[in-house]
Amino acid sequence: MNVRILRQLTPTSPTRWEGFNVDVTDDMSIAGLLDHINYNDDIFDDQGNLTTRIGWECSCLQGACGACAMVVNDQPVLACETFVRDLKGSTIEIRPLRKFPVVHDLIVDRSSIHENLTSANVCIESYDPNETGSQAKLVKRQRHQYEIAKCLKCGLCLEVCPNYTNGLTFFGALFANDCYLVAMRNKSKAAEIKALYGEHFGRDCSKALSCMDVCPAQISTISSMAHLNR
Amino acid sequence: MDKVVVIGSGIAGCACAVRLAEAGIHVQLVSPYPSERSQSVMAAGGINAVLSDCEEGDSIACHVQDTLRGGHNLAGTQAVRTLCERAPEVIAYLERIGTVFSLEADGSLARRAFGGQTHRRTYYCGSSTGKQIVSALVMEVRRFETQGLIRRRLWSSFHSALIRDGRCFGAILYDEKSGNLMAEHADALVMATGGQNALFGKTTGSTQCDGYAAGKLFAQGVDLKNLEFVQYHPTTLETSQKRMLISEAVRGEGGRLFYLEHGERIYFMEEKYGDGGNLMPRDVVSQEMAATGRETYLDASFLGKDLIDKRLPEVRDICSKYRGIDVAAEPIPVAPSVHFFMGGIAVDNNHETNIQNLFAAGECASMYHGANRLGGNSLLAAICGGWVVADTIADRSRAGASPDFAALLREENQKLARMRDTSSVFPVMYIRDLLAKTMAECLGIVRNDSSLADGISDVDYYLSIAEKISYDPSAMMYANYSLVGILTLAKATLACARQRRESRGAHVRSDYPASQDSLCHASIVSYENGRYRVWLDKDKRYER
Ligand SMILES: Cc1cc2nc3c(=O)[nH]c(=O)nc-3n(C[C@H](O)[C@H](O)[C@H](O)COP(=O)(O)OP(=O)(O)OC[C@H]3O[C@@H](n4cnc5c(N)ncnc54)[C@H](O)[C@@H]3O)c2cc1C
Ligand code: FES
Repeated sequence: MNVRILRQLTPTSPTRWEGFNVDVTDDMSIAGLLDHINYNDDIFDDQGNLTTRIGWECSCLQGACGACAMVVNDQPVLACETFVRDLKGSTIEIRPLRKFPVVHDLIVDRSSIHENLTSANVCIESYDPNETGSQAKLVKRQRHQYEIAKCLKCGLCLEVCPNYTNGLTFFGALFANDCYLVAMRNKSKAAEIKALYGEHFGRDCSKALSCMDVCPAQISTISSMAHLNR
Repeated sequence: MDKVVVIGSGIAGCACAVRLAEAGIHVQLVSPYPSERSQSVMAAGGINAVLSDCEEGDSIACHVQDTLRGGHNLAGTQAVRTLCERAPEVIAYLERIGTVFSLEADGSLARRAFGGQTHRRTYYCGSSTGKQIVSALVMEVRRFETQGLIRRRLWSSFHSALIRDGRCFGAILYDEKSGNLMAEHADALVMATGGQNALFGKTTGSTQCDGYAAGKLFAQGVDLKNLEFVQYHPTTLETSQKRMLISEAVRGEGGRLFYLEHGERIYFMEEKYGDGGNLMPRDVVSQEMAATGRETYLDASFLGKDLIDKRLPEVRDICSKYRGIDVAAEPIPVAPSVHFFMGGIAVDNNHETNIQNLFAAGECASMYHGANRLGGNSLLAAICGGWVVADTIADRSRAGASPDFAALLREENQKLARMRDTSSVFPVMYIRDLLAKTMAECLGIVRNDSSLADGISDVDYYLSIAEKISYDPSAMMYANYSLVGILTLAKATLACARQRRESRGAHVRSDYPASQDSLCHASIVSYENGRYRVWLDKDKRYER
């Protein structure tokens, strides 16, 4: 199968598409495919030209860390849990996330995610389980909080979001969900965090909710919004 | 002390950084990628502690006993006692900072059984305990970032320590974005770089844990300890790129190991060890599985879909996604794989190395686990160790002016530039693959002298070409310069394994199958002018 990859050697070098002819199998993940191309002494593109190894980021290789987020056939996905069997068409096109500066090939710099969360000081600080009221309520709310704390900070929700551009004022779904977690776990911070939520999310979210479709942790952002918009 | 550099932002690094910041100390928290990418997020099963509402008959003394016995009496009694005594404080802390623990219907913290333990004392957060703890710790780090006490340095990697006359004054860091080395002077340096998966290639853990830092520090004169003790997790699932961990929680919930003989299931662990057989310590289970010489399976299907959906959803998802296996309907084919490193940087009970003001905590340090770690004890050790380091540093006065390291920095930058100017037909990753093969062959579950000797000569060969080959322009620079450190650690590991002429815990020698009382001491490896000297810590210079 022909696999096209958008390459960029350094943050300032020009980009170029490079094609590779790869023997793929259905149960191969995109991460596996990239390793497969890289696992050769000499690597040739589909024109027979010698080329360099493809840079991409990984850590867990099982959908738990968000390192390998990239765009495959126009879908923002995690490479290690996207399989050839899930893709349509006769070619595969891989490019880095567009909303972050490229460091090298498919590796992008997502520091802005952390900078934004830090600028708004999104943190629980002190949780008192007895504050929540009845035990039944506590256990019921637990589920959504657990899902939110699984957020990988991978940036897929930002990549797909029509309102997120450079993260200067609108911080996206991952921010909204972390705000919910703080509001639920520390009542004394609820008012302050809701105001920040409004400023950096609620005010500009057009409710396309495409963020929920691509979230690898399947976080129900709309549940967080329902509470925080109240 | 006023300024500390912490290398690594997994659970150990974050716990240490936050505790230092709480004491008003300024911290640089260094890691190429954010905490969300660290191996800590992969910890699934839970964290051990004996709380006041513990299971009947359990006590902190039992936790200590289980840990020492599980570690085949190689861990330091006092160190383990401190670990277990502080465990309730760790859980209370994690709850206070907002970790989303699993709860019982009455709102109390839920706990489960874990291997090698006499009581149920493993607290957990669904099947993503590590991730939930990281999320809470990251928020705490953030709180101190906004106060200016912690500064995160992403895209930076450890290069080497600034050491002069047995004292540490900070570190040289490589900045991947600028492509330069820079000296970061500090009153103390804390290593929290995790385990050394890269030695073995395919493991259950993260590709970021490569052991470079330990290998480099060793060549700089830092002693390493107990490297031969590598934990093989008994239940992992083969996939093309890695071995997926099938959490011990499956057996904690009742899952059963078996192999097939003439179409009949033989529950070999239960046959040999009785009802608790499936939950024997990891070293025992892995060795028994290897001894069957057959394909082994883990059956959880009889637990039913509801329980699996509720208690083991991540295991269910891994099996179906990566291998198309329905855990509620069929057994999981499992085999042991490298999972955890009991060995690492040698530290004393304050987590300090033989170099003053150089500390290590978390999986990169060798502490608490002896010859075999109990599941649920390493998250505890990562946090507790991070705290011990921070408290020791907070009690210590400033180091005084740092010597001038400008010449060293210039020299190292020149070396890097030379590396950039070379190119070779052997890319770095190729040698790392060769190394992984060597290690798998020589340091499997069962070892012997001749294969360990072969391993050492293989690694010597890789080391001899490593200095010459170098730069692979398509890999990040770190991948290039880290190779020698990784190989050095591999050689030190093989040297320790060869020297320990007995079987104990995770170290099984076919040529020395019995344990020897006279060898019940930690092994230390020291770098002396290019020689690797392995010795037993009989006087308890380190962990006691
Ligand atoms: C699949 C799996 C499941 C597990 N389940 C459990 C469990 O249920 N209970 C339990 O107690 N333990 C469990 N463990 C073990 C536990 O997760 C680890 O021991 C623990 O998380 C280690 O934490 P750490 O902070 O020491 O290291 P890590 O989390 O590995 O963090 C290391 C940090 O160092 C950084 N780093 C590495 N090298 C460099 C360098 N050269 N320069 C700069 N930074 C560097 C990394 O980027 C990272 O930030 C599990 C492990 C695995 C793999
Ligand atoms: S490598 Fe961790 S999510 Fe893909």
